[in-house]
Formats: sequence, C-alpha cells, structure tokens
Amino acid sequence: MLTRDESIAAVDYHRGLVIPDRLNQRTHAAYKSLAEQILEVYRRGVGKRRRELHQEVHRVFAQEPECPLRRIEAFCKLLDDQSVYASQERRSAAALRREVFSHAAGLHPLVERMDSLFENSAEEVRRQISQRLQRDWQDISDSLFADVIDFHRLESFPGYAGPRELLSRYNVAQIQAALFSAISITVRAGADFKRILRAGRLARLMHTITAPQPGCWQIELTGPASVLRETRRYGVNFARFLHALICCCDWTMEAMMESRGLRNLRLHLSSRDGLRSHLPPDDKFDSAVEAEFAAKWGEEDREGWSLRREAEILHAGQKTFIPDFVLEHVTGRRVLLEIVGFWTPEYLEQRVRTLQLFRGVPIVLAIQEANAARIAQAVAGADVIAFRKVLQVKSVLEVLRGLPGVSA
Amino acid sequence: MRPGSSILSFSAGTLLLSGIPCDRLNEWLPRAGCVFDPRAGVCRCDALHLRQVVAELERRRIRFENQVAVPREVFWKAESLCELRPEQTAAVEAWLQADRRGCIVMPTGTGKTEVALRIMQLTRCSTLVVSPIRDLMYQWHRRILRSLNYDAGIIGDSIHRVQPVSVTTYDSACIHMPNQRDQFGLIIFDECHHLPGGIRRDAARMSAAGARLGLTATPERPDGRHEDLTELIGPIVYELSIAAVRGKTLADYDVVRIPMHLSASEQRRYDMLAEEVQTYVYQARQVNPGFTWEQLCMSSAVSGEARRALRAFHGKKSIEDRATEKLRTLEDLFRLHGNERCIVFAGSNAMARDVSLRFLIPCLLSQCGKREWLEILEGFASGKYPAIVANQVLDEGIDVPAAKVAIVIGGLSSSRQARQRLGRVLRRSGNERAILYEVVCAGTSDESRSRQRRRHESFQGVRRKRGRSTC
Repeated sequence: MLTRDESIAAVDYHRGLVIPDRLNQRTHAAYKSLAEQILEVYRRGVGKRRRELHQEVHRVFAQEPECPLRRIEAFCKLLDDQSVYASQERRSAAALRREVFSHAAGLHPLVERMDSLFENSAEEVRRQISQRLQRDWQDISDSLFADVIDFHRLESFPGYAGPRELLSRYNVAQIQAALFSAISITVRAGADFKRILRAGRLARLMHTITAPQPGCWQIELTGPASVLRETRRYGVNFARFLHALICCCDWTMEAMMESRGLRNLRLHLSSRDGLRSHLPPDDKFDSAVEAEFAAKWGEEDREGWSLRREAEILHAGQKTFIPDFVLEHVTGRRVLLEIVGFWTPEYLEQRVRTLQLFRGVPIVLAIQEANAARIAQAVAGADVIAFRKVLQVKSVLEVLRGLPGVSA
Repeated sequence: MRPGSSILSFSAGTLLLSGIPCDRLNEWLPRAGCVFDPRAGVCRCDALHLRQVVAELERRRIRFENQVAVPREVFWKAESLCELRPEQTAAVEAWLQADRRGCIVMPTGTGKTEVALRIMQLTRCSTLVVSPIRDLMYQWHRRILRSLNYDAGIIGDSIHRVQPVSVTTYDSACIHMPNQRDQFGLIIFDECHHLPGGIRRDAARMSAAGARLGLTATPERPDGRHEDLTELIGPIVYELSIAAVRGKTLADYDVVRIPMHLSASEQRRYDMLAEEVQTYVYQARQVNPGFTWEQLCMSSAVSGEARRALRAFHGKKSIEDRATEKLRTLEDLFRLHGNERCIVFAGSNAMARDVSLRFLIPCLLSQCGKREWLEILEGFASGKYPAIVANQVLDEGIDVPAAKVAIVIGGLSSSRQARQRLGRVLRRSGNERAILYEVVCAGTSDESRSRQRRRHESFQGVRRKRGRSTC
C-alpha cells in the first residue's frame, strides 16, 4: 500500500469529487513503456542499494513532461513492496560500528591537521582500523551504515508479471491511498452483496443495510466511533475493504471524504471501472454441498418452486443472516433454505445463535446427519432435513409439499 | 425504567449505554456528547467520559450494570525510586489534589520522569505510558524496570505484549486503544503537546482511564490546540519555569554563535541552484501571481522544470546542511574541548552520518537497535565515548547523560525544538557552566533560522559571548 506521502488525487470542486490519480492506456500511453523500463531497473538491479535504484527510476522519468514527483515516488514504493532486500549486511552493521567507534574513542579527536597537542590523524586511525579488521577502509565505510533503509541492497525482485500489472496495481493503490481520508463508504450491490458484506465485516467495519429496490442492497460501512464525529480513523479499513470489493461484480461505491472547507467531497467507483485486484477471487459458494445442490436443481421450476441463491437478507442490528437459498413459489410464497454442512463446533454454535435470532421466519434447514438432532432441538419450529453427504432435491421437495397451505 | 435494565459497556474505544434514552443522557451529561447509534440500537460516547458517566448515574441513583472492565491493581515488588526534590514533590501533590487529572509542565532535565514514576507508585493501578517515539518508549520501559522493578508490556514497534503496566507510542496507542480488553486505570502522556494533533487524540479519547497525567516542557502549540489538553487530559496543575531552576537543577549556560562560510565551489553551486529556484518561481508568478513555493512542494511538481526546481531547492538545502566547513569548525571545537563530553546535533541523518564517519564517533539514529542505543548512551555516560552525534531524534525527552558542550550544526528553527535541545546540555553537574555552540553558514537561510531560534524566550537573559569566526 502507498502512504499519504505518495498519494495523488485531484479535486473537482464543481462536482464535489475526489479523483485519484489513474493511468490508462488512452491518456497515458507512454506509461506502458516507462513501466517496463522501471521494472527492468529492478530486474537488473540485484546487488544495488535502494537509493541507487530510486535514482535510476527518477532518471527514467526525467524526460517525461507531465509527471508529478509523487507518482515517481509511488512507483518506487510499489516496486520496493515486491522486492527482497538483503539482511545479512544489515545485521552486522551495528557490530561493525561498535568496533570502529570503540577503537577510535581513545584517540578522540581525530584531526586532519596535526599539531603538537593533537596528533591522532584521521587518516592514520582509519589505516589502523582497516588493518585490524583486515578490510579495505573503503569497504568498511561502505558497510558502516548498511542498515539505513536507503542503503539496503536488493537481493531479488519477484516483482510484477509485466508493465500492465504494475500499472493496474498503481491505479488501485492510489484509490486506496485516497480512501485513507474517507469517513464512510456506501456500496450499492446486486448479486455479490453477500461477499461485499463479508468483506466489510472482515475489514472490521459496521454496516447499515437498506434495500432501495428488489435485488439491490445498499450497504453503508462505517466504524464504531463514526456516529460520534466525522473521523478518518477507519480509512485504513476502507482501503483494505477496497481490495475485496474490486474482486466482486455488479456494484457502485461512493465514499464520503473528510470535509475540506465547506463541501463534503465524494469519491465514486464502480465495478465497470475496470479495476483489477491482484488477489485471487474467493469462492462463490460457501461449500461444495451448496454448489452441488444448485447444479442439481437447475434453472427451471420444480413443482412451482424456483431456486434463487442468497436473494434474501435478514438483519437484526449488526447480526445479519443471508440464507443460502430462497425458494419462491409461483403463488409468491417464499421459503428460505439454509444448508449447514461440515463445520467446527464453534461455527455450529454461532449458527444456532443466529438462527434463534430469526425464529419465526419460514426456514428449512438442511443439516448434516451428525449434527441434525442437536440443531433441530436448539432451533425449535424449523423444518429440518438431515442429509448424509449430498443434499437431494427430492428431500427438499418433500418438505415443501408438507408445508401448511401448499397444495401439491 | 426497569431497575437494572441499563447496561454500560466498552466497545471499540467507545462506551455503549443501553436502557436510558439518549436525550435524557445528554441532559444529565452535557459534556459527554452521547449519540444514539441506530446500528447498535444504543447510545454511544467516547470512552474518555467513563468517570463522569459513572459518577453521574450513581449520583442520580440509576441502577445499571457496569460491564466496563475494572482496572487491575498493581503491586510493586520492590521500588527503588530516588528521593524527590521539593519541586518534584510539589508536582506530585498538585496532581493528586486535582482529582488525578492534569498536566505537569517542567523544563527538560528537571526530572519529569521521576515525578511520573512516583505517581505510578502511589496510584498502584494498571498504567499505560504513551510516548512520541519508540526510542522513548523503550526508555520508559527501562526506567520502569529500574525504578519500580516491573517488566512492562510493550505495544508498538511490531511488538504487542500487553501487561497491566505497558508502554506504547502515540501512533500505536491510537490504533490499538479501541482493541484494549484490559482497561488501564492511569494513562500517562509523555511530551503531551504531541497529543492534540489530528487523529492522535484518539489515544486519549478512546481510553477509559480515569486518572490521567500529561508531561511536557512546552505545552503551547502554534496551532492553539493545546487548549484541548484540558478536556483530553486535564488542566495544567503544576508549572515550573526554566528561569526558576536555572543554576539550581540546571546548569547555567552560554550560547556561542559561530558564523562560517561556504567554500568557493560550494558557494558557486549554491548560487547557481538558488538562481534556478528563483527563475522558476519568477516564471511561475508571471502566469499565476499568487504562486508560492509551498504550493509547488505541496501539489508536487508536475512538469520537468518544476521537478528540476524542486531538486535545486533540495540541493541548496543539502549544501547548507552538509557544508564541509562545518566539519572543519567541528574539528576546532573538538580540539578546544578535547577532554569534555560533547554532543553534536546535526540537521539531517546524512549530516549526522558525515560527522560520525569523519570523527568516528557514535551516531544515534532512528535505525539503531535498542541495544546499540543503550550501549552508546552508557558509553557516553561512562566516558568511554568522548563525543556523540545525533539527529533530531534526540530532541525530545531522551535521557542523555550530562554533557557540558553541545554543538548545533544546522536544523530547523522552532522555539520548542531549540528549548528541548538546550535541555540536553543543561544537566547539572558540579558548578560548571554549559556551552551551546551554533554553527551556521553566513549568507544562507541557515543564518535566518538561527536568528529565529535565538529570539525565543529561553535565550533571553542568557549570558552571551561575542560570536567569533574560526581560523
């Protein structure tokens, strides 16, 4: 991630928007070749010190007419993030200093012009130390501060797959850095809202959910202290959340930024902006059991029931419950289906507590045999299907037929 | 209201209060700023107000369940605190009298740490000490171990070891305070003038500690936000002025200013760079009359020319900072004070390393590990190392063994910095007067910075020798 010092964002006061720096092929065609050149600096830079590498990167951009200094520094940061710097020399630097300074301490002050009172010439002392350590003085003075960040040596550069990947990482990193100043984020989500919600929770944010229209959820994400004051203390959480968000599809996001002057500025983003995450997307299904069941049920109605994935959200305070499936009957009647698969006892317990919160909602629980009795007892009133390994379509239909008021 | 139906709890650096309507709370506790949080269905306020909230509810005989963890008691195994001087005892008394909330203002070198340690000893409850930088954090750790025989926990510097008594930095405290499961009864803010800055104040707001102590030599901030310290920590309960202790606790000192000149080649390069900067600014003002240099630095240079101008500016500063003549002047000063302990303050890490490499004297830099740091300071105290060099990291609060000679070779000008720096050499030992040398380049912006530095009140009334040039 970038820091504030490398962050670049333009402000459109007219529309009240913060626009993070973004490099794209149309307007910044030259950057593909620049990115390739700076990657090459690092690829060939093994053995060089960080400061030299940064100077070389700066040189690559020297002829580029329109390029903020911060952008160059941001590239250096992103390249460093994917670099391995040698640690051996670093570790021995302190011991070397101690040896050199201890030797020189008794001879203080080291002078360049000798006189009768002070006769320890700097040159002579350096020679002595050099002899004692059996090392060239140039080599000693070179390693003396090897632990200073600027002087770390590049050991290897796993780097980025290519210039495209570096540029795409840059674009995402600038948005993340801009979000450090965000005070809240509102996401409008369609199909992927469950994953988005989960990402928000993983980033330790609190949510408020509304449904402006069917099939669309609006999730406002803030931190605990956000109700007390406008605070950017959750900016890092938003930046972390962004990574997960751009792996999802079908969403728009609006971040409210820390107010500057009179206006509250916003930052807009959507799944159509073509951002790519370097993180692998997480699984669509929580478990194989769900995926298999959905595949077996298929697209069509069965006895008037159609199956929709994660189409309903129940919430009570900060507890939300998104059943795996909603079964919708042609008559408009809806029944929820939750599959409780192979899980740890802690997970089951938490699941039971959540289910108890939403007692009274028509729900069918499909539970793995070993746990069925325990859960059925804890969540009295729910219809329970016990299954061994695979949840059968016919056993679900059987339960649906048995529901009061449903004629087969 | 059903009795016992109210619950007070701690959550992520805030207090949650359920069972009492929010407007009622605001009527009772106008300063706590309770807000109804629809996400959780309860009222929320900053943890800072815990003591006030509990006191008010109890006064009104409201029954509530207090789920906020009670600070643990701490039993010191064997204390070896040194005897306090009268002014230190007065500071401790003043804080106790002020309901255990307040700031103590004492000049650097007059034993603020000892005052805080005595307060910890008397308070005997779980304590968090917050300091500006990690080096200071480790120093607190050592002082607590030595004086109170307690191995304190450390939160920060990639360590997360929470103990009933712990040390941390402002930045870590701000991040970790909401996660604190164990509550601290006493929170100490060292160099507390750092606290009101931006989000750092969360370190105070998100803590539920009832007893609060702020320590500083310089409470005032240029932005005026020091007034917020009253709410975040407490009012100033004790103040000791530098004039009151000069010559008693602190050594009397002289300030000697040494102007020096750039070498011919440095001056040529300096003038060239200065012209480059001026030309750029001149041209920029033709287009935009309101253009300022700060604007260029802030918006970060976009065009190639702007980047070159910025580089010229930094080059100029680096020449001032690292002028070779400074090293020669330093050699003369070291000759003059050959057998006295000298501490050199450099304006940048690069210059500190230049000095270290030229004279082969230890250099205190932020990358030094804590063992090396300790070795250098102890070596300086024992006389093993006759001189050391440091960058601004040493400016505040680090316990430096008494030095009689301090040499400032470049650095920023601000009254606080200058005062803290003075504090380093002011430690009393015997009857000797201390000397502070300022080595500045004549005819550069270094000179105007030194002038600003001297304008500050710490320098007023100080006996001043006439500046002299070096040979």
